Amino acid sequence: MTTTRLAVRILDKRALTASVFSFTLGAIDEAGADVALPAFDVGAHITVATPGGASRSYSLNNDPADRFRYVIAVRRAPDGRGGSASLVDDTAVGDTLFISEPRNTFPLHAASRYLLIAAGIGITPIRAMLRSILAVGISDVHLVYLTRSVEETAFYDELTDPALAEFVTVYHRAEHNGVPFDFWPLVADPGESAADRRIFCCGPEALQDEIRALTMHWRPSAVHFEDFNGVSAFGELTSPFTAVWHPSGQRIAVSTQETLLDALRRENIEVPSSCESGTCGTCRIRLIAGAALHRDVVLDADEREHYLMPCVSRADAASVDAGTADARSTGERAGDAPTGEAAGHASGAEAAGDASGAEAAGDASAAGANELIVGPLDAQER
Amino acid sequence: MARITHLFRYPIKGLSAQPVSRVSLRQGGGFPGDRMFALARPDGLYSETRFVPLPKRQYFMLMKDERLAGLTTHLDVDTLDLTVRVRGNIVLEANLGTPAGILQLRRFYARVLDLPSDALPVFAQQPGYNFSDSAKASRQLMNSLSFINLASVRDLEQRIGRPVDPLRFRANVYLDGLEPWEERRWFGGEFSAGSVQFRGLEETTRCAATEVDPLTARRDIPLPRLLVEHYGDDVLGFFAEILADGELHIGDEVTVAAQPSVGDALRVGGAPRVGTAPRVGDALAEASDIPFPVVR
Ligand code: FES
Repeated sequence: MTTTRLAVRILDKRALTASVFSFTLGAIDEAGADVALPAFDVGAHITVATPGGASRSYSLNNDPADRFRYVIAVRRAPDGRGGSASLVDDTAVGDTLFISEPRNTFPLHAASRYLLIAAGIGITPIRAMLRSILAVGISDVHLVYLTRSVEETAFYDELTDPALAEFVTVYHRAEHNGVPFDFWPLVADPGESAADRRIFCCGPEALQDEIRALTMHWRPSAVHFEDFNGVSAFGELTSPFTAVWHPSGQRIAVSTQETLLDALRRENIEVPSSCESGTCGTCRIRLIAGAALHRDVVLDADEREHYLMPCVSRADAASVDAGTADARSTGERAGDAPTGEAAGHASGAEAAGDASGAEAAGDASAAGANELIVGPLDAQER
Repeated sequence: MARITHLFRYPIKGLSAQPVSRVSLRQGGGFPGDRMFALARPDGLYSETRFVPLPKRQYFMLMKDERLAGLTTHLDVDTLDLTVRVRGNIVLEANLGTPAGILQLRRFYARVLDLPSDALPVFAQQPGYNFSDSAKASRQLMNSLSFINLASVRDLEQRIGRPVDPLRFRANVYLDGLEPWEERRWFGGEFSAGSVQFRGLEETTRCAATEVDPLTARRDIPLPRLLVEHYGDDVLGFFAEILADGELHIGDEVTVAAQPSVGDALRVGGAPRVGTAPRVGDALAEASDIPFPVVR
């Protein structure tokens, strides 16, 4: 699990709506003086150990220039269970909470023009982004904020302030006879480049799917989601790892976005392939050391001791830190996103972080934590 | 009763399926206008002037680049006017018969594929060549049509418990009215569809391109793996060559002329129906009953 070792005090706790609560957290020394907190950038989140035991991740929405405060907004899940409810129901100002250091999987990248899109509690990182963008003098920015009703709109007064009117559209679907907001006029222009125009979107999976579908003509690196980073499309956890190519000893970092096969090719190591789905057997390489997560359907158990199909198989991050299982099943992002998205986000971030930071466990022999030593087939094995 | 339910061409490799209602075929030729163009990787081996058949990963295609499925493209194969849409909104119009139009296309896909700012995909066209995955294997396979039995797709859906859009398999000809998997018994023989005589060449082993949902452009079902788990191999569909000229229409009857002896290779499917060539009775009446969505 993410280590939540930083002790902070709840300095303020207030309702933003009937179900959304703002928490101001700070560290106080014995003399009662403020202690500086680890720095963060806009888009960062912290993981909080809730009184009920579960860990939850929340975006920081205050000004990163404030070195003494973390402000989060927590949406209490309506069914009254889970970590968010525990955080809202079982805490009071003055209580101590244990949190992780800030981590940023949704950083604000530079651009000349921005489109910001938020739904529900997804406003928390986006609100911080809007302020930060306006603060550097960029005026070509538009925030679309979707909520159910005025009453359920966190930061309603702030974001409907006339001074922000030219930058912000707050849209309550209920007030438009259920007609969804038409994003097309705002996304039709994909910009010249990512440096020209970017989109940041935080909200439920359905909204992310909609925005992704509407921006297929954009440069994908200019469209940012607080998303599934680290979870493969097939619902399995994908973590970065290091491959060591045995003949040369070259160390190759394999990101969550690529397969081991891709990474080897990137380094000009030629491995033949055909199906790239773990079924044809073409891409077989030798597995010399390390705990592998075999995802193919061609190797039998004995073969898996010595071989690996790099088009689908990776290092087994779970063998490095089996403790992520809890975060995987119960992780929650900022409170109100649908379960799938929320669990995906939190688990991805946490597993990736843990995998790189954890001690090696199990018998990886010569391979380090989250590392695979691989090599080509011998001539007679081909 | 077997009949043709859909006909598709894919004029640009990896881009949208284009339904057609009928097509004229020539002996030894492929599906007209199919995979006539491709987008080759800018740092790859494709050479306009010294062309050799290349592995599919030298081109942008769905096995690697699922985002391609997110755009709806239509190429008029006669005028070469291309239209690209996002949710019905036009985002590119270009004529691929002109250098300016080709440049527009390359710039557009450089953006969609997130290539580095100085890189453009290479517009690949080679007279007499098409860029189907099987083109590299042989001229005969390049000039074949790909077939899918929809009953086999439905059987797969049932086994894996989720819908499978038949367009994941990007075939030219979709058949229905057959038993699930019966094509695996007779694909190696001769059969006719409409007025065209075919001979089966080879079964289609599926790759990771089929993992991509053609509507959402997300890689969501590990189909090759599920095929192996449920049926023992990664086959779905087959290629067949044209033995004599003719026309294909949606609704045409499919008749298996000579059934080879029941194949040893057969691992799935119902009882063999040797000697009972499928016949179409009132198929044409049902021909409009298109069982899967084809247009966004
Ligand atoms: S390429 Fe087919 S198993 Fe890896």
